[in-house]
Amino acid sequence: MAAEIASITQLLTSGCMSRMVIRAAGIEKVVPTAEGQLTILAGIELEINAGESLAIVGASGSGKTTLLGILAGLDLPSAGQVFLAERELTALDEEDRALLRGEHVGFVFQTFQLLGSLTALENVMLPAELRGDADAEAEAIGVLDKVGLRDRIGHYPRQLSGGEQQRVAIARAFASKPTVLFADEPTGNLDTKTGQKIIDLIFELNQEFNTTLVLVTHDDRIADRCNRIVEIDGGRLQ
Amino acid sequence: MAWRDWRSGELGLLLVALVVAVGTVTAISLFVDRLHQALLLESANFLAADRYVSSSREIPQAFRDAAQARGLQITDTMVFPSMVFAGDERNQLVSVKAVGEGYPLRGSLVVSMEPFASGQDIDSVPTPGEIWMDSRLFPSLDIGLGDEVEVGLARLKVGKVLIKEPDRGGSFFDLGPRLLMNIADVPATEVVQPGSRIGYRMLLKGPDTELEALKDELPLEPNYRWVGIRDSSPRIGSALDRAESFLLLGGLLAVLLAGVAVALSAHRYSKRHYDHVGILKTLGATPNQILYGYLGILVVIGVVAVFLGLLLGGVLHLGIVAALQTLIPVDLPMPGPRPFLLGSATGLICALAFAMPPLLHLKNISPMRVIRRDLGTAPASQWLSYGAAAAGSLFLLIWYSGSWFLTFWMLVGTLVVLVVFGTLATLLLRGGRIVGMQAGSGLRLALSGLQRRHKENTAQILIFGLAIMLLLILVLLRTALIDEWRAALPENTPNHFLMNITPAQLEGVEDLLADGAERQGPLYPMIRGRVVEVNGIDSQEWQDQHRHPDMPGPRLRSERNLTWTTELPKDNQVVSGRWWGEDSRAREVSLEGDYARELGLGLGDVLKFDIGGQTIETEVTSLRKLDWESMQPNFFIIISPSGLQDFAATYMTSFFLPTEEKRFLNRLLSEFPTITVIEVDAIIEQVQSIVDRVTQAVELVLSLVVVSGCLVLIASIQASRDARMAEHALVRTLGGTRNLIRTSLAAEFTALGLFSGLVAVVGAEVTVWLLQVQVFELPARLHPWLWLLSPLAGAALILVVGMVGTRRLVSSPPILVLRALS
Ligand SMILES: Nc1ncnc2c1ncn2[C@@H]1O[C@H](COP(=O)(O)OP(=O)(O)O)[C@@H](O)[C@H]1O
Ligand SMILES: [Mg+2]
Repeated sequence: MAAEIASITQLLTSGCMSRMVIRAAGIEKVVPTAEGQLTILAGIELEINAGESLAIVGASGSGKTTLLGILAGLDLPSAGQVFLAERELTALDEEDRALLRGEHVGFVFQTFQLLGSLTALENVMLPAELRGDADAEAEAIGVLDKVGLRDRIGHYPRQLSGGEQQRVAIARAFASKPTVLFADEPTGNLDTKTGQKIIDLIFELNQEFNTTLVLVTHDDRIADRCNRIVEIDGGRLQ
Repeated sequence: MAWRDWRSGELGLLLVALVVAVGTVTAISLFVDRLHQALLLESANFLAADRYVSSSREIPQAFRDAAQARGLQITDTMVFPSMVFAGDERNQLVSVKAVGEGYPLRGSLVVSMEPFASGQDIDSVPTPGEIWMDSRLFPSLDIGLGDEVEVGLARLKVGKVLIKEPDRGGSFFDLGPRLLMNIADVPATEVVQPGSRIGYRMLLKGPDTELEALKDELPLEPNYRWVGIRDSSPRIGSALDRAESFLLLGGLLAVLLAGVAVALSAHRYSKRHYDHVGILKTLGATPNQILYGYLGILVVIGVVAVFLGLLLGGVLHLGIVAALQTLIPVDLPMPGPRPFLLGSATGLICALAFAMPPLLHLKNISPMRVIRRDLGTAPASQWLSYGAAAAGSLFLLIWYSGSWFLTFWMLVGTLVVLVVFGTLATLLLRGGRIVGMQAGSGLRLALSGLQRRHKENTAQILIFGLAIMLLLILVLLRTALIDEWRAALPENTPNHFLMNITPAQLEGVEDLLADGAERQGPLYPMIRGRVVEVNGIDSQEWQDQHRHPDMPGPRLRSERNLTWTTELPKDNQVVSGRWWGEDSRAREVSLEGDYARELGLGLGDVLKFDIGGQTIETEVTSLRKLDWESMQPNFFIIISPSGLQDFAATYMTSFFLPTEEKRFLNRLLSEFPTITVIEVDAIIEQVQSIVDRVTQAVELVLSLVVVSGCLVLIASIQASRDARMAEHALVRTLGGTRNLIRTSLAAEFTALGLFSGLVAVVGAEVTVWLLQVQVFELPARLHPWLWLLSPLAGAALILVVGMVGTRRLVSSPPILVLRALS
């Protein structure tokens, strides 16, 4: 029995080890301001496993966006290490981080961040085009179908409602089959009802694509749908 | 509001563009203004005055009084031919110039104490009793300094060698060797008799306004001629006119380019304020409050920009002047107020016409924008923006050039170009997409992006294309102008003529020339003769029938130099009839067109010549056009060989002699004292030096315009900066490497440049063709090499400017995407 438990524990641990997608150790972020050094993040330790959905909650200005940016390799911490998909992000240069993002990371932003000059389809194809994939179109159409915008693929962002724009952004994020999806207050610019639908969509696709989800929100009801919640306050994890 | 905008650096952009506009215009017009004045001054040297009154009659005292009453400086000169005698044997026909104190009013006399030396400037004129003479008179009269010569009844002492006089020039056959004396000695010579050929001049110097007023005041017609540089030397005059047009055009283009830069910056400024205005509106600001707020800002910015721009322009032009001191050794006169006025007006008009429309648009921004970020902003009224810009440009162009004509053609060119450009740019972008799809990912991203954003890119190609086109136009015109000037008077143009060479001397002269001078023109036989009958009618009667006796013009009956030749002389052009063949046996005559017209002669008329008592009859078979400015021998009357070749002739020829080898004349004249030498080197040199100056000026202005063209390129790339910044940050977030962005940017700029260059060459050819035909009156032609060069140069230029301008964008941190980007 004890042996069994030990082996299961071992299995779990080793499994956990190999299935760990993000690990952040000793993260600190300090920025210079007119009034001297401002510490935005301090002493952040965080591990996120594959398939897990994690909610980062906290008040406005508590440092959620900063942390997300660092975990996703958009920004570098002032101190500490970040590992993503078994690569040390903090040791890579901007070029390699970009390549790593292209391969493993998807984003959904509060402000949608679609390129206004591209149609819905072209926006969704963009990451694949960046990687040089030849067969981007069929796949993009498939994902747009999944988010319910099959008949809007030729429309430009300005012709779409906010909820529809966010769906395009979600399609774009999942089209490249990311390992991790980062979402920064994805419903922040939407009404409650639309926001609800968007969240449903994210979780649904997250399941289907077996993606790890890191979700920043200050809405407890959304956070509750995640496997795990961490709270940040004044730049420190509680 | 203004202060906060200023602090955040937004207004800075607009201010910089306006300052650059005002600065460029002020600097260019300051420089052009001063350069123009300098050119006029220098050309005034060729008159030895700003203007003069010339006549074959004495200048009335009333003229002098009137000039002095206006505070003008005056002095008198007289020119007349006379024999000088040295000792008992030597004598020579000279052209005497008697001058008063103060001569020359512009430029200076150069004298030396030794013939054929280079000499020094001198501030005085010969004292009474003294004369100064041309170098070549010393060997031909066989005298030295201090010897005495007789001019008419006066005995005068040779005091100095005259090397140069500023207003040496005049008509071609009027150029005997010069003898300069004091006008006070003229009565003693007693050469001034009724009927003697004397040219009187009153030289004038002073401000233009006074000179022009004097011109209107004096009773000049019909006996007195008022002469400025344009009348006295048409070639210099036309070079000046064209240069002026060119400088003007250059300044004009600079204004337009600056206007475009302002419009681009204002557009960017207002775009950045969409959100700002949206927020203000939700907070209760009325459209009018917003309108007045922004107009207030614009006025303040306009005033500050004008002030700074004038300062910048002043400093810039001082820099240009300092940098060019070596190139333009003329003292530049102080500038007038016009450049500053022009600069200020440019600033205000740019602000009104180019910057205001996008700002006016701000008041229409919907407050909904705050809630729905991507709510389409109704585009600024295109008619208002373009209409205002067009009206502003038109006003500036007309005011700047003072010429509806030039403005009209500029606008026609630009309009044609815009239509052609629009179509062409759209087609090119389509084509680019198709090619792009076959390319690698960076290229594909760039080229498919180019086509997707085709509206913005069409606009950008238009702007780049327009800027490149304007540059091409200037380069082409410059080349055409300069080529034409140079071709008119190539280096080594014969600058000395020999006349009265007897057949016996011919061989000796040719040997000497082959030995000492550089190039020999054709040899023309010269035979003196007169027309005695036309179609059997006495020539005096013919002339009376065909011309009023008081009309000026050539006289049919006077004795002229005739020549015969098989080949049509260079620079001559048969305008009707045909030139005789080499083996023509008939007795034919070819007349100069104007000469024939004024005397009522035409093809088929039969002229009877009296040549030394013998007569021949010839038929007019061709009329010719001559280039009177070519400084080459020209003949009114040329006869076919069979008509003249049996008559005894003397010969004339020409050769080139550089100034430093003038001593050769000494050898020539000692060996052949009877030969007449005519020197036109001084005139040719004057014309060439003016043309050189003007060429430099034209090149300078061209480079200034190139600089403002680059500014527009930068402004236009800056205008798309925000959009690109957002796009790049996002692309990088999604995994695009720096290299990919760089490649795609490079591909995009190259494509834009290629397209713009292509479009520019079309526009430039059309406009240059129009300008050359309509304004500069030059022959027009296409420039095939440009069709290759322009797209390549466009690509290179925009690639470099674009990559430098977006250097920082390539590494826009992706974290920006998470932060508010607007
Ligand atoms: N580059 C920066 N310079 C100065 N302060 C910053 C910078 N980035 C973030 N901050 C500050 O750090 C705090 C955390 O910001 P953020 O991570 O955006 O908070 P949240 O997303 O939780 O609202 C805020 O007070 C913000 O003003
Ligand atoms: Mg945030």
